[in-house]
Amino acid sequence: MLDINNLSASIENKKILKNFNLKIKPGEIHAIMGPNGSGKSTLANVLSGRKGYEIDGKISYEGEDLLKIPIEERAQKGVFLAFQYPIEIPGVNTNNFLKTSLNAIRKFKGLKELDSLDFLKLVKEKSKNLKIEEKILSRQLNVGFSGGEKKKNEILQMTILEPKLVILDETDSGLDIDALRIVSEGVNSLRNEKRSFLIITHYQRLLDYIKPDFVHVLVNGKIVKTGCSDLAQELEKDGYEGVTAAR
Amino acid sequence: MNLKFEEFQKIKLGLKELDNIRLKSFKKFESQGFPTKKQEHWKYTDLNTIIDNNFSNLKIIEDKKSSYYNNKSLIPNFEHNRIILLNGRFIESNFSFENEKKISVKSLKNSFENKEDFKKIKYYFDDDQNSMVSLNHAFTNDGIILEIDDNYLFNKPLVIYNLFDKLSENKIVNNKVFISLGNESSLSLVDFYKCENNIKYFNNTIHNYTINKNSILKKFSINAALDNSYNYNSTKINSYSNSIFENFLLSIGPSFIKNEVHCNLLESYASCFVNGIMLLDGDQHHELKTNINHKHENCKSSQLIKSVLLDNSNATYQGKIYVNESAQKTNGYQLSKALILSEKSEFNSKPELEIYADDVKCSHGSTIGNIDENSIFYLMSRGLTKDQANKMIVEGFLNEAIETITEPNIKLLILQLFKERINKANV
Repeated sequence: MLDINNLSASIENKKILKNFNLKIKPGEIHAIMGPNGSGKSTLANVLSGRKGYEIDGKISYEGEDLLKIPIEERAQKGVFLAFQYPIEIPGVNTNNFLKTSLNAIRKFKGLKELDSLDFLKLVKEKSKNLKIEEKILSRQLNVGFSGGEKKKNEILQMTILEPKLVILDETDSGLDIDALRIVSEGVNSLRNEKRSFLIITHYQRLLDYIKPDFVHVLVNGKIVKTGCSDLAQELEKDGYEGVTAAR
Repeated sequence: MNLKFEEFQKIKLGLKELDNIRLKSFKKFESQGFPTKKQEHWKYTDLNTIIDNNFSNLKIIEDKKSSYYNNKSLIPNFEHNRIILLNGRFIESNFSFENEKKISVKSLKNSFENKEDFKKIKYYFDDDQNSMVSLNHAFTNDGIILEIDDNYLFNKPLVIYNLFDKLSENKIVNNKVFISLGNESSLSLVDFYKCENNIKYFNNTIHNYTINKNSILKKFSINAALDNSYNYNSTKINSYSNSIFENFLLSIGPSFIKNEVHCNLLESYASCFVNGIMLLDGDQHHELKTNINHKHENCKSSQLIKSVLLDNSNATYQGKIYVNESAQKTNGYQLSKALILSEKSEFNSKPELEIYADDVKCSHGSTIGNIDENSIFYLMSRGLTKDQANKMIVEGFLNEAIETITEPNIKLLILQLFKERINKANV
């Protein structure tokens, strides 16, 4: 599914990712943990196509050179980034945005675009599962949403768009226990043998709800340790310094 | 560019009193000419140059009345009463949804011929520093006087159609619209502009409204059709106790518009809301000037103006809130936001607060910027193309002002016209 080979990324001449390597197979869940400034968000940004980075190395996504695919096409081809800080866009109706997004992706897949009625039916069902109040969907996109509502809205988008590769960029930060559970249920409900997840997080907390296949420790732009889900607990106990010193 | 006295001599004279005003006004206009950027209020809109650049031989419209208008100019699927002005002249009115006994509509031209009728409106031919007003006084040849009784609530909106045909080509049309709303009455008014065959003309209309106690006037100024017209509209409103004036301006179609809204809040609890959007491309040049005078205590006013500029377009918002010393407990709010989406477009903003009372709440804000890159990235990361993302953001940006419209059917009409316009713009 995703093969990152010797990836380096710098911004304003500052090297953030250094010879980074990662392979994700279909159906796998990978967690990346690391201290502040280790390059976690840069990785998410590079994968989703945000501008402003100087990039070296190779990323292959389903056999294609991901770095050559324009931003919107990455989304159409199944890459989804749940933002750490979802953007507020005044005046844009959330439902209308979701419909435009879904139809752009359906169109790319060669599927029939949904009309308003079918779309609303779909949204109703999905938002009910995530315990999202329908009210917020008729509001302006993320405007005046609480932190939890913003993150839930990201997860709702994920369940509607049904991507192949999901990148969660610190989706758990700022969530209370209930919201965390809802977000995790959203992820778990999408889990299948074809869909892969890359979960970027600071804390082990989220991984209590979503059990990853692999945990990687990212320090200074490099993966310094890889293990199974137990590694997350070790990190929680000993801290990043403890784990990396034991190396 | 100026007008010759021969032009003035062409108009037919009538009441001596009016003729004196006309002559005085013409002399005044002749000495000043069209406003230039040297005048503070025209700083960003040099009308004299604009006219020079776009009209080679501008003349006053002939005193001729045509009464045929194209039915297709009427707004379809929208129940409304109507008044038709063709080339500035009053053609017909239709109030089939209303109790006609409560409504009086007269041609201004008829009032010019009758001493008693003229007495009632003479007050409005006041001296003005603005040469466009002098021009209007000198040449106005028709318009309407609309009076609504006390205690009358309109069932359906009234559309005043301002239609223009070949007769107006390369001409200046001057007219006046008087509206007086009795106590406890309400009216939703759509001021709708449309011309045929994309002719070029200059329209100069002066509006005077009186809103009496406990009454509501909602006005929707719709200049939506992309055309080659030049428009100057100045509206003066006198608002009395506990009345509401709402004005939404859809300033998106013609080559040139300068709209002025001067509202006097004369008695307690009167309020005035002016909101609008300007969406311009090509060489369009639009300006909105609002002047809200808080002359009494406990009045409220607010303005929200949103503008989006493309290509070589140019827009200005000048907003003044004046609070005199007796207008305590005033609540005044003003916000202008503009997006400049091309290198050559220009937006000018001049917010002004002039406050002489000490217990007031007033604020103003003005921002000019570009579309936020993060917003574009967010939408593109959900599969939208850059064009789709840009358009969605711009539409949302302007939608915020449209959302303030309190009449659902008119909001739908305005949304539809706005969508048609934005689809033609290269956002």
